[in-house]
Amino acid sequence: MKAFANMNLAQRIQIVIIPLIAMLFAIAGLILNHFSKTQTINTAIIEAYVYIDKLEEFANIVEGKTGPGLSSNDIFELKEYFSKPAFRETDYPSLLSKNGEYLIHATRQGGRLPLEVVQNLKKANSKQGYLYYNNISETKIEKRILVYKFYKPYNSWIAISISPSEVLKQIRANRISMILIVIFASLLTAFIIYLTLKPVSRRLMHLSIRLKQLAQGEIPNHIKNGDRSELGILSDSLNKLIDGLKNTTEFARQIEQNKLDFNFKPLSQKDQLGMALIQMRDSLKRAFEGEQIRKQEDEIRSWFNSGLAMFGEILRQNNNNLNILADNVIQDLVNYLNANQGGIFMYNDNDTEKNLVLLSSFAYNRKKFIHKTIMLGEGLVGTCALEKQTIYLKEIPSDYIYITSGLGEATPKSLLIVPLKLEEEIFGVIEIASFNEFPKHQIEFVEKIGESIATTLNSVKNNIRTRELLEQSQQQREEMAAQEEEMRQNMEEMQATQEEMQRKNIELEVITGAINQTLISLSLNDDGIIVESNSIFHETIGYSKSELEGMLLENLISPDERKEFDHLWQTVLNGQSVTATLHLIGNSNRERYLLATLSPGFDTLGLLIKILLIGHDVTETKKLEFMALQQAKEIENNLQTIKKEQEISNMRQHEMETLLKALDQNCLVSILEPNGLITYINNMNVVVLGDKKEDIEGKFLKDIDYNAKNNPKEFERFWKLLHDGKKQNREFSLNVKGETKWILENFTPILDEKGKLYKIINIGYDITLNKQKEQELNNIISQLKEQLKK
Amino acid sequence: MATQRMQVTDQDLLYFVNTIKSTSRYDFSEYSDKSLKRRLQKILEDYNLDLTSLLTNLRLDKDFLEKVVKEITVNTTELFRDPPVWHLLRSRILPRFKSNKTINIWHAGCSSGQEVYSMMILLNEMELLDRAKIFATDLNTDVLEIAKQGVYKYRFNLGYLDNFDKVIKHNPLNFEEYNDVPYEKYFDIDKVRDTITMKKFLTERPIFRKHDLVVDGNIFFAKFDLILCRNVIIYFNYSLQNKVFELFHSNLYPKGILLLGMHETILGPWATRFERLGQAYIKK
Repeated sequence: MKAFANMNLAQRIQIVIIPLIAMLFAIAGLILNHFSKTQTINTAIIEAYVYIDKLEEFANIVEGKTGPGLSSNDIFELKEYFSKPAFRETDYPSLLSKNGEYLIHATRQGGRLPLEVVQNLKKANSKQGYLYYNNISETKIEKRILVYKFYKPYNSWIAISISPSEVLKQIRANRISMILIVIFASLLTAFIIYLTLKPVSRRLMHLSIRLKQLAQGEIPNHIKNGDRSELGILSDSLNKLIDGLKNTTEFARQIEQNKLDFNFKPLSQKDQLGMALIQMRDSLKRAFEGEQIRKQEDEIRSWFNSGLAMFGEILRQNNNNLNILADNVIQDLVNYLNANQGGIFMYNDNDTEKNLVLLSSFAYNRKKFIHKTIMLGEGLVGTCALEKQTIYLKEIPSDYIYITSGLGEATPKSLLIVPLKLEEEIFGVIEIASFNEFPKHQIEFVEKIGESIATTLNSVKNNIRTRELLEQSQQQREEMAAQEEEMRQNMEEMQATQEEMQRKNIELEVITGAINQTLISLSLNDDGIIVESNSIFHETIGYSKSELEGMLLENLISPDERKEFDHLWQTVLNGQSVTATLHLIGNSNRERYLLATLSPGFDTLGLLIKILLIGHDVTETKKLEFMALQQAKEIENNLQTIKKEQEISNMRQHEMETLLKALDQNCLVSILEPNGLITYINNMNVVVLGDKKEDIEGKFLKDIDYNAKNNPKEFERFWKLLHDGKKQNREFSLNVKGETKWILENFTPILDEKGKLYKIINIGYDITLNKQKEQELNNIISQLKEQLKK
Repeated sequence: MATQRMQVTDQDLLYFVNTIKSTSRYDFSEYSDKSLKRRLQKILEDYNLDLTSLLTNLRLDKDFLEKVVKEITVNTTELFRDPPVWHLLRSRILPRFKSNKTINIWHAGCSSGQEVYSMMILLNEMELLDRAKIFATDLNTDVLEIAKQGVYKYRFNLGYLDNFDKVIKHNPLNFEEYNDVPYEKYFDIDKVRDTITMKKFLTERPIFRKHDLVVDGNIFFAKFDLILCRNVIIYFNYSLQNKVFELFHSNLYPKGILLLGMHETILGPWATRFERLGQAYIKK
């Protein structure tokens, strides 16, 4: 059995099917044989009936001729008909009596049928029929078929005994050829089967090889196939399977190579491997996408963080210079965002206005020097600062961009304006324009950086403010020092002023005291009312201080002189001092004459504030005047004379002055005190002798005079004569800058009215150049002397 | 702060004055003792020096001496200082010169120049500026430099504007009168820089010179119609005052006017040579 199990299909079929087919053929032959025997026997039986019928007709004919019943005639007559076998060798017809006696039979006439056959015959009780019986002979027992028919006229059976073996003799003769045919047919069939099975087997072989390869994980080639048989289907399926596997393997390989977009179709919806691979691919894809996203997120995070670090560094480095800070921040921010321009504004919140000042701007890789101030709420930047919200525009108004590259580049497309705020306090605004849109993380980044910038701006602002305050306080300190100095100077001035005033006051007090003790003093206002008065006036006029104050001075003036006084008063009011003799009527008609000076007093504006009256009582004089009018007139005449003399003397003095002036221009003039003190030397002294004014003035003649030193006796004499009122001349020479100068001096003593020496005038002449004309000069001098004598 | 310094004695002052006199052309011998003592005290305190060191330094260091001299002088002034004086000038004094062809004015001791600019502003308002020749002198070259610049602190000197209003815009003799003269006509106020800056037409007009009243006499080849010497002689003693009065008297035209400070008066020999009109002294 094992060997069989190991056989391949073709062998099995050959082993099993071919004998089976042979057997089937054999069985079919046997069955056919059996059926043909029966058929043949039946045919023989039917033929026997036909033969019997014929024999009956003959019997009828014979009966007819012979009379009724079986007679010897009949037997005779009939014997002929029964003497030959009907069809075969031993099937002789017979006429059988009821008892089974062969009435007529070719060979057995007089014999009898075996008893049991006769009994079966009787039992059959039918007119015609057949029955099998064994014919027992001496040698053999032969099976025979007895076909019979009852023939009434004879009361006997017409029967034929058929031997089946005889009948079947023909058939037996055909059996061998039949067997040969069967064998041939079997062989043919087996061959055909073999031929038929061979390709099947081969295909199966291929299939099995491929299946085997498949089982071992190989992927075999396709099986050639062209039909739709089961094997074809099987091959197709296998091919499909191979294709599927190839595809799947390729798919798996692609997955392995991370090519997840490979177009893979599963073999069917039930392709578990395919579906599983697809799921795997999908999950890989998801994982990969997840990874991608994570990677991207990581990149963004790293971009974000390194940006934060970078700007942190920038902000930390330049936190004392706002402009450099702003430049660096905006430049690096624009670059970091891959934008093309940007500006940073600082929020100014001073006393007068709130605005945003462009600290720095940067465009097309260049710093731009633009000055710009935006009011809070003005434009996008101002709005951003006011609302403290980021503004992001994907379309910029064409006129918005204020920086153009000048190189014909396109205008930026998107604009990002971010407030620099710290806890809702605004410190500035950053504005960035770019050709690209700003992704969300960049906006977040700028916002985040914005906080840091705001913090730094705040601290820088604070630093700057602190520095400013420091500078300011320094300046204020200096100013304070300057002001303190000024105040000290003011103080000094006030003190000096006060001291000066004190000094003057003391002086004035002395004067006032002297006046009050010796003179009458009154203080009047501009209406002429007495404001103050001194005791001498009280004594003179006889009124007390209280009585006088508030009184009009005019009321004290003698009525007949009041008109004159009014005139006088007006003059004083006009600002002039007036001296006059006033006739006053005092208490109890006491008449008093005052020689008084009325002086107006002005304030700083030059406005009249008071009038001062100073005078003394001249009543006694006046009385004397009146008592001796004559005398007075004389005095007046005298006064007139004196006046005239005075005029003359004035004239003389004038003349003298003129002369002196003339002298002054030509001569060396010096003036000495009686004691010899030189009080004045004129310019000629300086010019001619080179004497310095300050060297000579204030010195005594005897201390500097050449004569006084070298000839004291002569000088003494000379001096004495001068004191006696005698003019003295002398000549002397001296060396001035290496040049000998000759001077003629003429000393003239000046006597006062009492004849006492008052001054000595020395007139000197430079006679150096005229020494040879001395005589001539002497003449001029003597002439001059004469003139002087006159 | 170091210990309280010894009070400067008369002897100290004498040493100081003599040292200055012997090493430079300055002469403080006739300055008011009391004032000079206080200034010396201040200098000793400011430089934290004792007298001996100060005197040594003065002898050795000319620059230091100049500096000390500058610090000794007092330079108090302001725009339209003592408005009543300016009213007097406006109403009683300057009108006298209306018929003059030229008006020579000498600001003796002009300090940092405010008085000079006040005068020019007033003259301009009275349409006399074209005729005026302004001379201004001071001992201290530092303040002269400020005077030439014509730039002053603003906040510290807000009083200037009051004075300006009082003198230029109002007339005390007529309260209804109001001349709306803008400040910008004469100076620019910069509140940020804290400055008052005189206009160029004012700063370029005066002749500023260094001058020592004690020794220099009249350094200009001119006589004057008006000499202003305010709050200067208070630092001088009686004798020096008289010398200065003589100098002024001799360099004034007849009827020329000497204007002294608010609390300065001429007493003594020169009193009779002038006629007084408030702070103005008119040469007889």
